[in-house]
Amino acid sequence: MKSKLLMLLMAPLMALLLVACANTKSGALIHPEAVTGTPNCTECHSDAYAAMNHQAVDFFKKHSVFATNARRACASCHAESFCTDCHAHKEELKPSVKYTQQVERTLPHRGDYLSQHRIDGKINPASCAKCHGRTNNERCLTCHK
Amino acid sequence: MTSHQEKRSGREQSSLLRVASVVLAAASTVMLAQPVMAADYTITGSSNTYLRMTRTINKEDLYPLYEYLRFSVTAAEKDGSATSLHLGAWGRVDLVDKSSDHYTDGDLQYGYLSYQAAKNNLVINAGRQFITEGVAADRVDGLYVRSDFAAGITAAAFAGSPVVTTPNYKGGDFIYGARVAQGKPGLYSVGVSALRNESDNARDREEEGLDLWIHPVKQVDLTGRSSYNSITDGWMEHAYTLSVAPIDAVTVSADFSRINYQDYFYNVTTNAFALAGNGGLLDPREKVTAAGVSAAWTPVKNLTVAAEYKNYGYEILGSADYVGGKVAYTTADALSLGASGHRMDGSTDRTRYYDYRLYALKKTGHTELGVDFYNVIFDRPIDGVKSSYALTGIAGYEFTEKLNVGGEIEYSQSPDFNREWRALVKVAYAFETKGGEKGGKSEK
Repeated sequence: MKSKLLMLLMAPLMALLLVACANTKSGALIHPEAVTGTPNCTECHSDAYAAMNHQAVDFFKKHSVFATNARRACASCHAESFCTDCHAHKEELKPSVKYTQQVERTLPHRGDYLSQHRIDGKINPASCAKCHGRTNNERCLTCHK
Repeated sequence: MTSHQEKRSGREQSSLLRVASVVLAAASTVMLAQPVMAADYTITGSSNTYLRMTRTINKEDLYPLYEYLRFSVTAAEKDGSATSLHLGAWGRVDLVDKSSDHYTDGDLQYGYLSYQAAKNNLVINAGRQFITEGVAADRVDGLYVRSDFAAGITAAAFAGSPVVTTPNYKGGDFIYGARVAQGKPGLYSVGVSALRNESDNARDREEEGLDLWIHPVKQVDLTGRSSYNSITDGWMEHAYTLSVAPIDAVTVSADFSRINYQDYFYNVTTNAFALAGNGGLLDPREKVTAAGVSAAWTPVKNLTVAAEYKNYGYEILGSADYVGGKVAYTTADALSLGASGHRMDGSTDRTRYYDYRLYALKKTGHTELGVDFYNVIFDRPIDGVKSSYALTGIAGYEFTEKLNVGGEIEYSQSPDFNREWRALVKVAYAFETKGGEKGGKSEK
């Protein structure tokens, strides 16, 4: 019992000590310069941020890893609503409908997706389930009883 | 196999009102206190209104009117720390069809208070939020804490109620998880993560994951993750991408992923992705391995030429190849031009087709005009349709920096809709108020 109590006291103290020892400066809350369009981060950055080049051919595939590793960097330019436009709990308007004028962006489900979703669902249903497996799937019930 | 996934009993579990009242109370407190407690504060907000004019597959007119409201208050202290409140919600009413119970709807998308410290990237969030920590990419009503530690270690933990939709199966009552990573800024990061999702008597999800990012030199970047399902005792997914940029103008990327259906689709809440034997159609024995390569060349600034190839190999279904390319020219806030074409070559009629896209958008002064054409040509007609397409005309006008009005009209033909017209009108208003020198992120 005594050792458990000691552990309970020591664990937060160790955590506090490790936090104190880290002493890193937090990333910027706001990107120092306003960025418009789809930025090529390599124009200014040669460090880790260069890897987040939004114009890279594979940025869309990798953005989830950056969202885990560098959420604060994302948040220095993007408001929370930017993530929510696609990663929604309950949503009826596709991103490609809300942002039709942003033709250059990789927005999923362009065109008439009702027909295409049957094809994509056959090819790789996991790519659908990432966003619709547990959320944003109320409308599936219309056909998938 | 999936006894944890009980059929929905009709008990609609929603913590929306509870979250909304907490957030609104917090919002009031923060807003009233702003000028007193903060050196610099920023209030941003936006209203986006959309009116769609469309029809159902049964040719019934629908005129849904949507209102999206986003709002943030940020109080930035002199030491670099900040406290903020973020709210986002939408509501919808159909102007024509009031026949069903669902002609109105809405959702609180996010609503949370956040504290961001000046040191150690410490973040504390409370409320409805989207959490991205390793195996977790989940919306949660709860608490999230993250900080840097010594020796390049970062750690994050969260707990709360999962925010899920449950058309067929329950999504669990309680979710918690954590991620610990070690890395060197700019060089590498390796993380391990886990999450648990539970109900009273059920294990809904038990997942562990490994994620990594390796950036040994400027030209090479490897990202990826693997996730494991402890309930089914199997790997759900491996997904890795290697990027190589031998010169600034050229990027080559290779990606690999493997999905095990039995383990990956264990925890869904809809029949659409349920496994056979549990009300769905997906074969639990199926496994898909996707391997692809893409290359992009930027001969001059703003112009990108890319080619890509991906092979899908299935344990049961056979295989499919997707190959194609695109050309895009984009200048910030002025001109976007693009064209793409691909061939999908699979083993069924539906997975043998060509797809094409052409788009152009030009901004002149306060006006923007554009056109977007998307076309799929099947090898064999699907429901009598060989060529499925959507042609969209786009127009917008910026009345002021804060107020934009736009619209689009779409003409389409598909296996489901024959020569269909749709239209949309949107009005976007964004505002920002600052006190002090530091700014905020626009909600635009």
